[in-house]
Amino acid sequence: MDLRPPRNQADPRAVPWWTVQTLILVVPLVVAAVLAYLLFTDRPLWLGAVVGGFAVCCAAMVAVVPRAYYRMSRWEVTDEAVYTRSGWLVRSWRVAPMSRIQTVDTARGPVQRLFGLSDVTVTTASSAGAIKIEALDHRLAADLAERLTKLTQATPGDAT
Amino acid sequence: MTGEPEGWLRLHRRTLPASAVLSLALVVPLVTVLAKVLLDRDVTLPVVAAAGGGAALLVIVGVVVYDLFRWRATTYRITAERVELRSGIFVREHRSIPRDRVRTVDVTADPVRRVFGLAVVKIGTGESAGGDKAELTLDPVARRHADHLRATLLSLDSRDAGREPAAGAPIAELAWPWIRYAPLTVWSFIGGAVLLGAGKKALDVVGLDLFTLDAAGEAWERVQELPLWLAVLLLAAANLMVGVVGALAVFVESWWRYRLEREPGGTIRLRRGLLTTRSTTLTEARLRGVELVEPMLLRWGGGAKVKAIATGLNKDKNDKLENADSITPPLPRDVALRVAHEISPEAPGGPPGEPPLRPHPPAARTRRLRWAVLGAAALAAATGALDLAFSPIPWWAWTVPVVALPVFLALAADAYRGLAHGLTGRHLLTRSGTAARRTVALDRSGIIGWKIQQTVFQRRSGLATVTATTAAGGGAYTVLDAGEDDALDLACHAVPGLLSPFRTASPPDRDDFVTPAQAIVARDVLY
Repeated sequence: MDLRPPRNQADPRAVPWWTVQTLILVVPLVVAAVLAYLLFTDRPLWLGAVVGGFAVCCAAMVAVVPRAYYRMSRWEVTDEAVYTRSGWLVRSWRVAPMSRIQTVDTARGPVQRLFGLSDVTVTTASSAGAIKIEALDHRLAADLAERLTKLTQATPGDAT
Repeated sequence: MTGEPEGWLRLHRRTLPASAVLSLALVVPLVTVLAKVLLDRDVTLPVVAAAGGGAALLVIVGVVVYDLFRWRATTYRITAERVELRSGIFVREHRSIPRDRVRTVDVTADPVRRVFGLAVVKIGTGESAGGDKAELTLDPVARRHADHLRATLLSLDSRDAGREPAAGAPIAELAWPWIRYAPLTVWSFIGGAVLLGAGKKALDVVGLDLFTLDAAGEAWERVQELPLWLAVLLLAAANLMVGVVGALAVFVESWWRYRLEREPGGTIRLRRGLLTTRSTTLTEARLRGVELVEPMLLRWGGGAKVKAIATGLNKDKNDKLENADSITPPLPRDVALRVAHEISPEAPGGPPGEPPLRPHPPAARTRRLRWAVLGAAALAAATGALDLAFSPIPWWAWTVPVVALPVFLALAADAYRGLAHGLTGRHLLTRSGTAARRTVALDRSGIIGWKIQQTVFQRRSGLATVTATTAAGGGAYTVLDAGEDDALDLACHAVPGLLSPFRTASPPDRDDFVTPAQAIVARDVLY
């Protein structure tokens, strides 16, 4: 794609954070699958292979996905626009001009807080979804939100 | 409510009798079920009548008392600057919107309110973010007062816009031959069955089984005596007939006295409806383009519908018959194009003929054909699995995947033919869809952001999907599977200066890169 990557990367702590998140999602699934195999079946070999394969895939996902995400997630704020890139299997580039930004929010989930990270969400008047800059150092996120708010206030127009 | 400061108005008093009548919709089924239950328990007739009457009275009085409180609690006023509404029985609410923010005024009157000379007025600001808060509902006011409110609230714009008054001729007016397009919907084929199902459910509640009713039962037995093919044919024909009649009835109810006109002062007014009359007025300042919708059956019949893309066009959840943003009934395609063009000049259908739409690269067709083959293969696999599980399944089950393949391939080819995009001086054009082909002309000044997406597979075929986000209509309009560079060029040219700083090789922003006349010649030349 003929688009240059945005200048800035997410905080490196994003990788452990996303790893923990993936683990929270995946561990119960694997445990449930293994327990179900041990307790509720006659433990046929082929099913064991399937469960084992599932566990290996999950482990691979935990190892690979956060890093792949980290490499793809980039963001940039210029005087005119907010520009982000994200996604791994489905890559997505997003641009919103300063003059059309309505609100700027920062948010941090409970696990995210342990890593000192925040997300910045930039909303326009479109109902089609906000632009999210994920996993920034929480102080940087607060500064960025403040800067964006100032920039958008300085830009005239009713944002529709 | 402390006194009555100047200017505060109440809703119309006739809302009380109107709600009493409307409450019958609740009373009738309630009393029927009650009577049925009591009669089953061998309660004598007078007692049943008394109980039914009592219940009915209770409900009606309850509804009327509630409405009385609501009526007492609700006042509104229109000052030089603001529209204000106070409401709420338990939780008092005071809502106020600046008059220069008023973008739409809808007047709706259902049959009951019409009999009482009432109408419901909805005043919208065009803000999509605030949900229903962005809309004030006056339920109800006198019919004549509703028209007066509409005129007053939208006149602000007429003073500063100073457009030429309407020349009397509407943009479109109902022509009865259009009704031939009404049955061209899926409902014609499934409507009969759906009605039968719903009717049976309703009768079940009252304890009647449709198939044990004497008349119905007899008819059913007759049908069962027929040879299978004839019975199936007959049922299908009956189903189709009910569906078609239903579709015609809905068309008549929705579009009776349909009239779309431009009013002096830069507003567009839509009026329609037989039993429930609806009037929607929106200011042109809120219009961000138009959409030509061609559902498959309608497209085969040479028809189309037009929708407005406007900010704050209210999505009425009660209006199930038609979406609020439909501004025409199904009508001939060339008329639809003309309406689209008149609503939003330079939209598809302009005088030079077809809009300057560019087809998408063959890789997009390959993708669709691949999906079709995979879909048919999945069906075949499912059939095979069924065959293993319940062996053997009848041989004719295998016709499903066999027939599916050419059908899917045809749909894929059609989907590819539908894909196109383009740019005019004022609009971004995009077309896609098979089940319903949509041609969108989105005002370039209404675009408030871009989203460019590429899956792993798209990357391998050099395709990308571009989405323009906007405050109006659906919030986002997508150009599916365009060539990678085409997609970026389109976005860069549609809104100069927004995406181009982020391109590795920025092409010069040329405003003149597509004029309609050139575009037709330059179909296959790069921008």
